[in-house]
Amino acid sequence: MSDQQLQNLIKMINQISINNLHHGDEDKAADVVATHIRKFWARSMKQQIIDYAESDGIELSAVSRLAVKRLAEPQEA
Amino acid sequence: MLQYFDPGKSGLNPDIDYGTPPSSSETLVSVSIDGTDISVPEGTSVLRAAALAGITIPKLCASDNLEAFGSCRMCAVEIEGRRGYPASCTTPVAEGMAVTTQNGKLAKLRRNIMELYISDHPLDCLTCPANGNCELQDVAGAVGLREVRYGFEGENHLDAEVDDSNPYFSFDPSKCIVCSRCVRACEEVQGTFALTIEGRGFESKVSAGQSEPFMDSECVSCGACVQACPTSTLMEKSVIDAGQPEHSVVTTCAYCGVGCSFKAEMKGDQLVRMVPYKGGDANHGHSCVKGRFAFGYATHKDRIREPMIRDSINEPWRTVSWDEAIGFAAKRLKDTQAKYGRESIGGITSSRCTNEETYLVQKLIRAAFGNNNTDTCARVCHSPTGFGLKTTIGESAGTQTFDSVMKADTIVVIGANPTDAHPVFGSQMRRRLRQGAKLIVIDPRRIDLLKTPHGSEGIHLPLRPGTNVAMVNALAHVIVTEGLEDKAFIESRCEPDQYRAWRDFIVEERNSPEAMEAVTGVPAELVRKAARIYGEARNGAIYYGLGVTEHSQGSTMVMGIANLAMATGNLGREGVGVNPLRGQNNVQGSCDMGSFPHELPGYQHVGDPNVRERFEGDWGVSIDPEPGLRIPNMFDAAIAGTFKAMYVQGEDIAQSDPNTQHVEAALTSLDCLIVQDIFLNETAKYAHVLLPGSTFLEKNGTFTNAERRINRVRKVMAPVAGMEDWEVTMALSNALGYPMHYQHPSEIMDEIARLTPTFTGVSYDKLDRLGSIQWPCNEEHPDGTPTMHVLDFPIGRGKFAVTEYVASEEKTNRKFPLLLTTGRILSQYNVGAQTRRTENSRWHEEDVLEIHPSDAELRGIHDGDWLGISSRVGRTVLRAKVSDRMLPGVVYTTFHHPGSGANVITTDSSDWATNCPEYKVTAVQVEKVTQPSEWQRHFQQFDQRQQELLTPAEAGTETSDATAIK
Repeated sequence: MSDQQLQNLIKMINQISINNLHHGDEDKAADVVATHIRKFWARSMKQQIIDYAESDGIELSAVSRLAVKRLAEPQEA
Repeated sequence: MLQYFDPGKSGLNPDIDYGTPPSSSETLVSVSIDGTDISVPEGTSVLRAAALAGITIPKLCASDNLEAFGSCRMCAVEIEGRRGYPASCTTPVAEGMAVTTQNGKLAKLRRNIMELYISDHPLDCLTCPANGNCELQDVAGAVGLREVRYGFEGENHLDAEVDDSNPYFSFDPSKCIVCSRCVRACEEVQGTFALTIEGRGFESKVSAGQSEPFMDSECVSCGACVQACPTSTLMEKSVIDAGQPEHSVVTTCAYCGVGCSFKAEMKGDQLVRMVPYKGGDANHGHSCVKGRFAFGYATHKDRIREPMIRDSINEPWRTVSWDEAIGFAAKRLKDTQAKYGRESIGGITSSRCTNEETYLVQKLIRAAFGNNNTDTCARVCHSPTGFGLKTTIGESAGTQTFDSVMKADTIVVIGANPTDAHPVFGSQMRRRLRQGAKLIVIDPRRIDLLKTPHGSEGIHLPLRPGTNVAMVNALAHVIVTEGLEDKAFIESRCEPDQYRAWRDFIVEERNSPEAMEAVTGVPAELVRKAARIYGEARNGAIYYGLGVTEHSQGSTMVMGIANLAMATGNLGREGVGVNPLRGQNNVQGSCDMGSFPHELPGYQHVGDPNVRERFEGDWGVSIDPEPGLRIPNMFDAAIAGTFKAMYVQGEDIAQSDPNTQHVEAALTSLDCLIVQDIFLNETAKYAHVLLPGSTFLEKNGTFTNAERRINRVRKVMAPVAGMEDWEVTMALSNALGYPMHYQHPSEIMDEIARLTPTFTGVSYDKLDRLGSIQWPCNEEHPDGTPTMHVLDFPIGRGKFAVTEYVASEEKTNRKFPLLLTTGRILSQYNVGAQTRRTENSRWHEEDVLEIHPSDAELRGIHDGDWLGISSRVGRTVLRAKVSDRMLPGVVYTTFHHPGSGANVITTDSSDWATNCPEYKVTAVQVEKVTQPSEWQRHFQQFDQRQQELLTPAEAGTETSDATAIK
């Protein structure tokens, strides 16, 4: 993984977060963001952002961080 | 009695000219013509009624795409109980009317008229280009003209000078009979009003502009006049050169998303001319300068005629057999996967190729590559449309037919420039505007639609680039707070919870036009006025283009547009709707065919096990349940070293995608790049395998236009390298060990129909029978669906979406004080690979930078100066054009020429939901310079080097194994 690639992923998820944050409801926004990423991101991209969140995660917005946490949880069928 | 209920097309022969346009009346009137009884709609002309009854009345100035004019008097008839000989074109039928079309008196009258015409017409029929296809000649024959008693020595126009200025047609006024068909076609069909009849009486003559040569006038070279001309006065130069064609094939234009039907008129396998086909439901016999004239690229010397390979991009190309090229490509793909893993390769489907070809490429990727790394150029244009419309109204497509605009009372055009980018539909819009429909344009630029001759005055909301969502929220705020909502529609058709959430949001004061004025720069009162006009319209229709989608909030804006339409009940009938205007010919189709990494054909998500099961059953492989990489993710992964090989069919990502230097870095990182294209495009310069593509003239298939209309593409000549594009994909798949055995694209369509719920009723047989089909076409809608969402949405109820305005991160500052926005021009198409290789370049030889006079003055810039344009990612140099079409602070350019480097400046900034690049907003600085940018100098060197590497290969032997490999 290159720095640039990670930077882009961070930028993308933060952008998704800010576009779905409505009246500060971070919990709800995180749900939407996690669903969006599950639906549209490739496996490798998901893994990279999860790895980043677990190792550092400093550049993730609050909503993004919450969303990645949900991604990392095993999904119910 | 013959019964005709006419305004439809059923039963009418598109090859017959019925003389005058149909009447839309539902009241039928019975008349007798030469003893044949026929009943036709009230308002039908006697000329048309006769034609419907199979009776031909001679005519010269009449044509069924023009209002009756009554000038040639050739169509005179006798009507029982009426005096004289009325012109049948201007005489409407009346109940019980008895018409005689042929008798001695009428014959004499017509012969006398013809005699007068011919007394001032050259008698060079044998050497005339119209010989064999001349209405004047035909009518002279029909009326039995045998002598011209006046002689030819009198005053005449026989020495009138020919105007050859237009590259595609010549104007020879010596042959003109002043029937005004060209003038009327320019007005009524095209809507440009470039032609007039100048002078009176004997001095009358057709004149372009202010008596200028055609090229210097405002003529847009659509060719409607050429088609309308009953003589050889306006004649295609290709016909002058080649003679009359001997057969024709109906096919579909491969330029923009309008999808015009054409008759390709042929002489053997030589295409002589393209004539727009009246039976085409998208264009009704009209066309633009690209579709009608710019087809010469198909036989251009630059065509790639043989497969080629090389080990590295610094080596010369080697011409090889198809077998060797395909084998080489397959081995490299397999080796790459063996070394770097299954997900290390991917491909890009083409929005220019057919549905069948696109379907096959994504199938190759999912089945033979074993991953979902497929994407298409729609990523960079209309992916937000897919996301936004699917989320709100449940289907990733426009809701209407083009013809629907003729019932719209208010037309809203957002971020689109139809008269340049979708010219034939632009002409139809102008027709509706001339009939009095109101126009609202939301665009940083003052587009030409606002200058529609004889159109009603439009409202222009010249917003700052990047503030669309603020604007759409302000419009919705007015609709809701001023009680303009369609409560009944909302209650019966939309999800109540989501509606309430949206409503609570939109009524907040921060969304009012007054609050948003500081953001959009548009006076609140003007916004309120526009909102009222849309909200109060009986039928309000929204059309939008890439000025909506290519933003960091492209998807949000699409949802905002859907909200607006739902709130006002402008969905589910003719005259309304939400209509994305698609850029390339088959953008709709490439999206429908499963080009995106997350969805299989028919927008079915790969994560859905039921969907996968059906495809897996049919394809005999297992499909990865996780989405693959999108184009920008592929580039990032390539630079990171995890994505190593790519198959690109008919796209030029190196020129069309943003941040060129980033794209170049990605392409250079690949171990294997396979490009299939008709030319050595910019991407191919980085390729290791170059497979010759075929043009739309060289293959069978279908395109789907912006109104979901599936049109047939029919082969009129053999592919230059022996293989149609779908056959190449098939060969590659077979070489990779995943067998594909289609004999004809119709079999691919049968497979698509089997697996795609919206296509179940589509087949080549049905397409041949109906002419075209608008999907969904299934058991419920066996003949297709012209208007969508009539009773409900595919997701049941419509879903309002909260559309919070978030400013783009691409902001101006002291270093980059201007905003660059990009767009298109009429004569050029997309990356220009086709149009630059035609005479269309005469209209647009280079991309220029349009800059507002006040910004120009500040920098001492004059027309024609060289300007350096820098952004955060790159720098290029273009010539200046001072223009007040944009707001101060906004500059504009096009991306039709690769050396311009428009995309060297555009950034990686993209739509939050789909990664569609934000082409429309780039902060830049502009200054006068004296030499090309560093990138341009590098580009020139690289281009020259790659052309040199191609030259020895081109001299190679011909490939003859195409038949064997199929």
